[in-house]
Amino acid sequence: MASIKMSRRGFLNTAAISAAAMSVPFTLKRSAASDNNAKEDKKLHISQNWCEMCFWGCGVTAYNREGRVFKLEGQPKCPKNYGKLCARGNSGIYQLYDPDRLKKPLIRTGKRGEGKFREATYEEAISYVADKTNKAIKEYGKGTVSLIAHGSGEHAFINLMSIIGSPNTAIPAYSQCTGSREIGWFLTYGRPYTGNEPIDAANSKCLMFFGRNVLEAVMVGETQRVTEGMAKGAKLIYVDPRYSKTAAKADIWAKIKPGTDLALMLGMINYIINAKLYNIDFVDKYCSGFDELKQSVKKNTPEWAEKETNVPAETIKNICQELSNAAPSCAIGPGRRLTRYGDDTQHVRAIGILNALMGNWYTPGGFYKISKMDIVTPHICEIEHTEVKGGEKIERVDGAGSEYRLAPKNLGLENKLMKGILQGEPYPVKVMFAYGTNLFQHYPDYEECKQIIDKLDLMVTCDVYLTETALYSDVIFPESTYLERKDPIGVMTGKYPYVKYREPATAPLYNTIGAYELVEKIAKKMGYKNHFKTIDDVNKEILDQLGISIDVLKKDGVYVKPTFEGIYPQAEGKDLKFNTPSGKVELYSVFCEKLGFDPIPKYTRHKMPKDDEFRLLFGRQSYHTHARTQNNRWLLALHDFEIKAWIPAKKAARLGIMTGNKVRIVKGDKKSRELTAYVTDEIHEDAIFIPHGYGRITKFMELAYAMDGASDANLCSNGTDPISGASAFHQAFVKIEKV
Amino acid sequence: MIKNKKYVMVYAIDRCVDCKACMVACKAQWQVPENHFRTHIDEKYSPGKYAPNRKYFLPSQCNHCDEAPCVSVCPTKASHKREDGIVYVDRDICIGCKYCIVSCPYDARFFNEEVGVAEKCTFCLPWIQQGHQPACATTCLSNTRIFGDINDPNSEVSKFLAEAKRNKSKIWKLREDLGTEPNIYYVQS
Ligand code: SF4
Ligand code: SF4
Ligand code: SF4
Repeated sequence: MASIKMSRRGFLNTAAISAAAMSVPFTLKRSAASDNNAKEDKKLHISQNWCEMCFWGCGVTAYNREGRVFKLEGQPKCPKNYGKLCARGNSGIYQLYDPDRLKKPLIRTGKRGEGKFREATYEEAISYVADKTNKAIKEYGKGTVSLIAHGSGEHAFINLMSIIGSPNTAIPAYSQCTGSREIGWFLTYGRPYTGNEPIDAANSKCLMFFGRNVLEAVMVGETQRVTEGMAKGAKLIYVDPRYSKTAAKADIWAKIKPGTDLALMLGMINYIINAKLYNIDFVDKYCSGFDELKQSVKKNTPEWAEKETNVPAETIKNICQELSNAAPSCAIGPGRRLTRYGDDTQHVRAIGILNALMGNWYTPGGFYKISKMDIVTPHICEIEHTEVKGGEKIERVDGAGSEYRLAPKNLGLENKLMKGILQGEPYPVKVMFAYGTNLFQHYPDYEECKQIIDKLDLMVTCDVYLTETALYSDVIFPESTYLERKDPIGVMTGKYPYVKYREPATAPLYNTIGAYELVEKIAKKMGYKNHFKTIDDVNKEILDQLGISIDVLKKDGVYVKPTFEGIYPQAEGKDLKFNTPSGKVELYSVFCEKLGFDPIPKYTRHKMPKDDEFRLLFGRQSYHTHARTQNNRWLLALHDFEIKAWIPAKKAARLGIMTGNKVRIVKGDKKSRELTAYVTDEIHEDAIFIPHGYGRITKFMELAYAMDGASDANLCSNGTDPISGASAFHQAFVKIEKV
Repeated sequence: MIKNKKYVMVYAIDRCVDCKACMVACKAQWQVPENHFRTHIDEKYSPGKYAPNRKYFLPSQCNHCDEAPCVSVCPTKASHKREDGIVYVDRDICIGCKYCIVSCPYDARFFNEEVGVAEKCTFCLPWIQQGHQPACATTCLSNTRIFGDINDPNSEVSKFLAEAKRNKSKIWKLREDLGTEPNIYYVQS
């Protein structure tokens, strides 16, 4: 791909000019409505929405002037963001007007992946999908239909799966992201941690994170709370092989040898117990297995941990002291994407134990209690013959709930579903729907992705862009962006539970569709008789239960539950109950033992890279989400259209690589596209780091493709955490070469 | 005597996390040309304890200088200082000679090829006249950016600066030695 003669910047400039020319709404004219001298906004149309540039769902007010959405602003009352939007949130406008968006339904004409499609009508594309799906069901049974989905429309497709009666739904957010975190927390506290990120950071005196790059992998509310807490004096302790933006803001940055976090945690537990830094009252009253824990970590002294982790024993002791000084107003975050080393559930268990030793459960500055709205969320479609309602039981392909007993069936295991499809076990899966998710950028190995799709008779994608997954699809449905559509009112849990409202900020720009409408049509075409309510009907049911009028939502975008519930039950003197076998916080997990796993986390050294290898680490940039935003020019401009590979200085010198050089990542016979070297002491010498979401193969996302870069998904490992069933990506060793 | 408004901005720079939301909010609101931003966040280093040097993040935009070179070099008076303190470019008068762009010691201006005028931060005029805050300050995740009238002792900026002085925080402006009298205050505790 290095055949582009112009400099990358030059190339992108050209691309941009053509992009701007296509997207008329961007062209600024003298004395146009956007003129700085305009005195009054007479034609302002204001609408409410929630941001879908990531999955955090910040409340957004959209301003439309004369048909063009020109500004997005955070809703001041939304508990997810209190008036703020991140860079991605602000750039939702670019996505709306992006000339690369999907505009019409497409049906494949060439070979899979060849990129040849023809435009089709909805009628035609839906008939095609319905016929092929019915045919596959007839031949192979209902279970032959599978779904991967992420985003506000996912429930529409989950409905479709229920209507069909197939159990093979997998939400990648579990197996490819937070699965181990939920299970580790569940085993320890008797409930999952949840995406509410219930750390009371704004009131905390000390916060600690292990590779949860909380100030760079931005979710507005969480970032707000952490910066707020720090502004009030909270200490920030951060553990990461890399000097991320969170590390830059931290009071203590522990530059850990990658893969050894559990050793550090055990070292901390050992020291906290021996130096009696723990909360004796809380441990006595609410924890089970303390003596076993003490015994189990006996040899894991800070000095031992130093040898494993490269974090000085003195630093480990300091960290413990800082936490204990602040306790119970302190919290140790369990991370978010925990698909690292295959022992991630135990990693989270150890974090759970550290928190329990601080006694910070349901206290200000520790963890707060999540509550919900007192309403029943209505179903848009009443389904008659689901598995739940006495339909035939079909075995799941992914082993969620059976082989992986703790993996929740409603989320499934995408990684295992894919393996099942590839192997044709336990039965052939021939149809896949992908909604808003891009398999190629989150499932290891492009070749394997292709082989998986090759096993299918029908691959259907519904998305905003022609992603890699769409490229390999047979039928593509263009989704309306969140700014162009209506969705059912969202009912949210949290510290302050609320409902959120979505109305179009503009009429659809193209011939696009919302997921609910699409699914209703597919189900009808397949011959199912289920009745779908309209979105307005569902909204009315919710509003009636709340006893509020739609005007409240039209004004504020959200309605926050007015009654105050105890957020800090422990501090309020209430007795705590835990939904674990012992009814306590399980330092010693009875459940783990029953399943044949270590009841107390133990450290086993992972395989380490050879001298000429690096462990491949990857993660987020502040201004990109997954592989979804890399075509957004406003965001690419924030990092000068450059993708940096962080390379440790000493090893780089040996390879003759200097900052600014073009490099490739090499793994076996795979070679990545080009990245720009960033040679630095700010990363542990075992590792290189690349940002997620690049190295694209779909040329239909022109800018993303032109960015080059490496795809971590194509290079990472494909391990499994045996407890949660979730993936392990960071066990891949790679080399790096100068171009 | 009622004083004129004097708009200024304060950056509580310890808070900035380099999320660059401000840059995009501004770009969106004013349709800033593709390759430009009116405000920037730069990575800087200072000697620190843990990394070889400690990284911090430094926002910048037009300083709305009281003694603005961009204003004095402008041959048409398109660039002018308003009574409310804002340094503004009148697009109908600007002839695109670019003198101001070179004269600005802060590199705050750029040439808008699409419109053919010099461009920079306007403190979101006229949006602020409708009772809004500037786009960057509104969206700033960490409340690094505080905007308001420094002639009003009860404004948020005045109160924040007073408190910063009481706390003996470090307060400075960029290149004060140049005599440009900038109006962006940097505060670090
Ligand atoms: S964190 Fe940013 S991208 Fe995610 S929902 Fe909020 S504003 Fe949107
Ligand atoms: S910062 Fe530059 S553009 Fe702004 S007023 Fe000062 S000299 Fe003029
Ligand atoms: S929005 Fe605020 S925190 Fe984010 S980069 Fe801008 S000034 Fe810094």
